[in-house]
Amino acid sequence: MDDKRAVKRESTLALKWDEMQKIIRDPILLGTIILVIIALFLFIVWPLYAVLAQSFFTDQGIPTLQYYKETLSHSENITVLANTIGLGLFVSFFATAIGFLFAYAQAFLKIPFKKAFNIVSILPIVSPPFALAMSFIMLFGQQGFVSKVILGIKNANVYGFAGLATVQILTFFPVAYLVLTGLLRQIDPSLEEAARNLGASRWQTFRTVLLPLITPGIANSFLLVFIQTVADFGNPMVIGGNFNTMAAQVYLQAMGNYDIKGGTALATVLLTISILMFVLQKYWVGNKSYVTLTGKPSRVRELVNDKASLVIIGIPCLLISLFIIVLYGLIPLGSFVNLWGIDYTFTLRHYKYIWELGVKPIMDTTELSLIAMPITGVLGMIIAFLIVRKKFVGRGVIEFTSLLSLAIPGTVIGMGYVLAYNEPPLVLTGTGIIIVLSFIFRSMPVGIRAGVASLQQIDPAIEEAAQDLGANSFKVFHSVTIPLIKSAFFSGLIYSFVRSMTAVSAVIFLVSANVNLLTVAIMSHVDAGRLGVAAAYSTVLIAIVLVVVGILTLLLSRIGVKVSDMQG
Amino acid sequence: MTKAKKVTIKNLSKIYPGQNGKQVIAVNHVSLDINPGELVTLLGPSGCGKTTILRMVAGFEIPTHGDIYIGEDRVNSLTPDKRDTAMVFQSYALFPHLNIYDNIAYGLKIKKFSKEEIKNKVNAILELVGLTGMENRAPNQLSGGQQQRVALARALVMEPGVLLFDEPLSNLDAKLRVYMRNEIHKIQRKVGITSIYVTHDQSEAMSLSDRVIIMHAGNIEQIGTPHEIYMKPASEFVADFIGIANIVPATVVESKQGAITVKIFGKDFSTDYDKELAVGQNCKAVLRPEAVQIGVTGEVEAKVTSSIFMGESQDYVVDVGGTKLQVKEYNPGSKQVFAAGETAFLTLDKRALHVLQSAKA
Repeated sequence: MDDKRAVKRESTLALKWDEMQKIIRDPILLGTIILVIIALFLFIVWPLYAVLAQSFFTDQGIPTLQYYKETLSHSENITVLANTIGLGLFVSFFATAIGFLFAYAQAFLKIPFKKAFNIVSILPIVSPPFALAMSFIMLFGQQGFVSKVILGIKNANVYGFAGLATVQILTFFPVAYLVLTGLLRQIDPSLEEAARNLGASRWQTFRTVLLPLITPGIANSFLLVFIQTVADFGNPMVIGGNFNTMAAQVYLQAMGNYDIKGGTALATVLLTISILMFVLQKYWVGNKSYVTLTGKPSRVRELVNDKASLVIIGIPCLLISLFIIVLYGLIPLGSFVNLWGIDYTFTLRHYKYIWELGVKPIMDTTELSLIAMPITGVLGMIIAFLIVRKKFVGRGVIEFTSLLSLAIPGTVIGMGYVLAYNEPPLVLTGTGIIIVLSFIFRSMPVGIRAGVASLQQIDPAIEEAAQDLGANSFKVFHSVTIPLIKSAFFSGLIYSFVRSMTAVSAVIFLVSANVNLLTVAIMSHVDAGRLGVAAAYSTVLIAIVLVVVGILTLLLSRIGVKVSDMQG
Repeated sequence: MTKAKKVTIKNLSKIYPGQNGKQVIAVNHVSLDINPGELVTLLGPSGCGKTTILRMVAGFEIPTHGDIYIGEDRVNSLTPDKRDTAMVFQSYALFPHLNIYDNIAYGLKIKKFSKEEIKNKVNAILELVGLTGMENRAPNQLSGGQQQRVALARALVMEPGVLLFDEPLSNLDAKLRVYMRNEIHKIQRKVGITSIYVTHDQSEAMSLSDRVIIMHAGNIEQIGTPHEIYMKPASEFVADFIGIANIVPATVVESKQGAITVKIFGKDFSTDYDKELAVGQNCKAVLRPEAVQIGVTGEVEAKVTSSIFMGESQDYVVDVGGTKLQVKEYNPGSKQVFAAGETAFLTLDKRALHVLQSAKA
């Protein structure tokens, strides 16, 4: 066997072509990839392009920076930009700090009522995104229960930076809490024992071992909260007062002032900030984790039980949890009160009002969310499958684009949808389809991430075995892949429904006389000062979400599926 | 099952695009003919390309160059589901969401056999692998050895033209491995199916194979029966990889048809040899430790540098004029045992002496 000819070097392109052939010889797979790429292009890339095109070209198609000059020369808009970034940094800092305290208490402390932490982290997901802002107005506003009834302050002003920042911190810290709890749980207790064994005190151990280990996680949480704060539309609209932020300003400029061009210029600036943060989060911080994702701690952690930690960390966390639960509790409470701040007698008149005048948004929202749900679920799993299991040119693009919509502020994509589907080839403005599409592409990334995470745990040989036994790509996917990741699949379904029901920022551009949505209706009632009706609508919304999720979870547990934790 | 197919591999190469533009040549112009019903092992250290060849035959990897034929059909462009192969995976790859019966029936259902046929086939195969009565268990309720048998049954039930084994026993403990190795051997002989078996465990290769293919760095080093590769290794790599080998410098004294005489440690030794080498040429000789006898008399004087009692054998390292040799004496209880530092004499078994033509590393 001495005829060992050296193989000549091949061009890398030719070798990649080998890999591509695996796809090309498989028409089902190839077709799916092409369809996914087309869908992502049509419903994520194209709307964004429409926003950019509007802002960089005149109506005659001449490239210009005129709209940026005009928009950014307004001192008002400069203030808004500074507000947005300042608020983002402030909220992210405190939300991450509080999230860390909660995570530490959850993972390391032996305290009662820890379940409250989970309730607190689920509440913002299942309620309208501006629910806490409403509660704050009910407590600290002009007619606020605390401000007026207890403290007797006349004309209390809750609107502005302080109110908005507090509401956002309380709404978004669960994001940091969930990320950090996951990380802290994965830290092997023997690392700390090793440090203690080598002579470090508990505080030194925390500072020299624990903190460095989760620093990337803290940075990650900070950026995730920042992205959400900057994109937040509902809270600034409801409680921002004169303190304007970009996400709201985009809407006001375009829809309030009818300055589409100026709106798109602002939207582009906002989008740039968000995408920068997203790229930073995903490609810089995201890769820095020291805590291995697969490594499970060697044994169960001994929970800390000393008084100092309980008092310094445990009690504040429990008090904050209690406060948040009370805040959310105010919403159903407010819906049964005659006139908040003036007349606290029990009434059903707000529900009567809804029943007589406003059932349509309830039906529309539920129907459209239910339509979007299965499509989001299946599409999410297909994309997760392609990302994890297949190698092809464009895979990186699919992954980036599909996860990008996590970072795109709703107002930007909402505006993009209006611009992109207002004229041929795709005229969708004013239809339910456009809303369903925005639901799908806004909520899909979470399903994709769940799918990716669970696929990475599964031996690819199982799917190869199925193919080897004669199953084509479609058969492998539905008879093996989906059953193996069913828990992620159903989590994606449920999350999609919940997120669609509570979405506001993108769809506020898309509602019309034909189709109105609950969240948008609630906002307009808050705006008009009808807090009771808004609270009643919100209560109905939360009830629908809880009932549907409850039914789904029950059905799934009957067939033996455990729905994994949802993460916003 | 009479449809065992031959497999022909022609000039097969696989190159992976590696990091920083460096390319990894996993398989380098390999040609191979596997006869119908034959069990061939691909044996080599990890990274030698053996699994890559198997995966190209199954269709999971696309060859960079070369052709693969199963039976008379060129299969290069066929997806794995269209190929007449069935694979037993290293990790077993049982479907965790299906019970044992449905795992085995999976491929039959895709081929649209009737319920009745599927039942008969699955029951027959369960009996063959000794798992009757386990149909309704989930894979994680079985032991490693049982899971292994399900994996085998799931492949066998398809009656494929070629059966592929990807290190199927590497996840089992030592005793079970020997047991399953014998089971696989028995079953493969019984059904007479063409099989390609990838392993890095030489005892598996020796005990199972009709022919063993030794691979090294993407190349075939030697193809031969287990006896041939052990007794007549084609290269120093093969000699060293299979069993333990003393490779000692030698000089050709005389070479004619069928026999050769070489000088080793200053003494002449003759043995069978199928090639002719030039007289005076330097070469290397392979001496297996068990083919060297140690005693108070013998042909070569040696100094014992280490002597270890292993139970079944006494293992020595001896020094002959600066060359270290390993020597293995079986049944040490019946023989004189030397201690380190003592002087002993070696006798070489000429039939077990093998001359390597090239002194390639």
